Amino acid sequence: MKKLVLVVGIVIAAIGMAFCQEFKIATSTGRLELNIGRVTVEGYGGNEIIFTSKDRKEKEDERANGLRAINGSGLEDNTGLGINVTDKGSVIEVNQLKKTESPDVKIMVPKGIIVSFSFESQYGGTAAFKNMENEIEVSTSYNSIELENVTGPLTVKTVYGHVEAEFSQNVRGPVSIVSIYGYADITLPLATKANLKMSTSYGEIFVAPEFKIEIEKQGSMVQYSDKVKGTINGGGLNVDIRSDYGKVYLRKK
Amino acid sequence: MEKEKLEALLIEYIDGNLNETDRLQVEQELAKSDEAYLLYEQLRQVIQLIEKSEAIEPGSKLKQGFDSFLKTEIGSNQKPKGKTLFFQSNVHRIAAGVVLVMLGISIAYQVNKNYKQEQELTKLQNEMNATKQMMMAMLDNQQSASQRMVGTTVAYKMDKMDDEIVSALAKSLNEDPNTNVRLAALEALSKFHQELGVQKVLIQSLSMQKDPLVQIALIQLLVQMKEKSVVKDLERSADDPVTLKAVKDEAYSGIMKLS
Repeated sequence: MKKLVLVVGIVIAAIGMAFCQEFKIATSTGRLELNIGRVTVEGYGGNEIIFTSKDRKEKEDERANGLRAINGSGLEDNTGLGINVTDKGSVIEVNQLKKTESPDVKIMVPKGIIVSFSFESQYGGTAAFKNMENEIEVSTSYNSIELENVTGPLTVKTVYGHVEAEFSQNVRGPVSIVSIYGYADITLPLATKANLKMSTSYGEIFVAPEFKIEIEKQGSMVQYSDKVKGTINGGGLNVDIRSDYGKVYLRKK
Repeated sequence: MEKEKLEALLIEYIDGNLNETDRLQVEQELAKSDEAYLLYEQLRQVIQLIEKSEAIEPGSKLKQGFDSFLKTEIGSNQKPKGKTLFFQSNVHRIAAGVVLVMLGISIAYQVNKNYKQEQELTKLQNEMNATKQMMMAMLDNQQSASQRMVGTTVAYKMDKMDDEIVSALAKSLNEDPNTNVRLAALEALSKFHQELGVQKVLIQSLSMQKDPLVQIALIQLLVQMKEKSVVKDLERSADDPVTLKAVKDEAYSGIMKLS
């Protein structure tokens, strides 16, 4: 059964790839602001931002031939991917056109671009970031965030979503990950020199035993929440991880 | 009562030259105001001193003695002998020279030392200012949230904060588009929670803050600070239908801990 699902999956993906459209912008600096519900961002060595769709292309609507799609947002689908991309000089803004249905978009970004993902609606999915040396900013209410092989600097905020972050060997600070209801699962290289701050109000904190945390003495104030503040490997970059109702996990790589 | 008028009346009062109504008025004033009483005390002392000094008149014997001395002096009409008062010998002159040179050197040394200290102080101040400027520039970086975070970390590492830094951090806390930066600004401010200016900023921020993650952290901090004056604000945000449930819960638990 599992194999069958896998095969079907691969076939669908292959069809998807075959139909996929591309949209490119030549730039390797500035800010990429993503206001879309679902995305996979990958870093690469080029100097173009490349947008592709992971959705299967819908059946062509013959009735719409010769017509132009418009909607209430005032934005136009100028990519053919269900998103609008506007180049504002140093900032490139990406918005989705449908309110409730987010297209599944994949974006390849050059190294020097700051990637900012921001989405407040509950009709979104997961935002995934892979193989990136870029600075990443995430600010959402409902999306879950998955980061794989990233260096930081990284700021992540989500209210209901969870955060999974696996860092590559050379981590760059600051790293700040906060969620109210979701868990935060972070994987750091064992040799990372960091000032660590992990806190939760109603959750728990789990740490790989290999991390030797030098706990810093707290101030004179009474602590009601659970807060661990300390350094690993003598301290260095700032790593803040907080989940108020969820759990905090710190793993070693 | 005006000060000059009061003074004049007090002098008359001390001398006992006042009529009944004025005297009563002055006494009332003295009973009423500490300042007036202080003035009265001072004036009384001064007047007493003046009276005492008037009492000292040269006695007649002294006067006679002086007159006769004057006469003999005039009568003698003798020119005073020329006399070297200072540094009769060469040894003394040399010694004086040495002393002068040493004095000069020590003054020069002192001046130089002061100058150096001043230089060091200005250097330190310049460094402080440079750090501050750098921090402000970082907090203003619209492109990169992580740079703004580093800016707050610089503030966190400072030994003390001035008003300019506090207001810059307050701006980040209340207006920065990025939650993580706001939280970092809160962290930096919380280190200086004992300062009145910072307390004011934190209390004000509670009613302005719309970011739930910051609201929760702010409520936790204010509760830790035992800041009872925020109970009203907490009740308000607990009653506000738009407030996120997690924030309401934090507000309720805050109200319980504070009252």
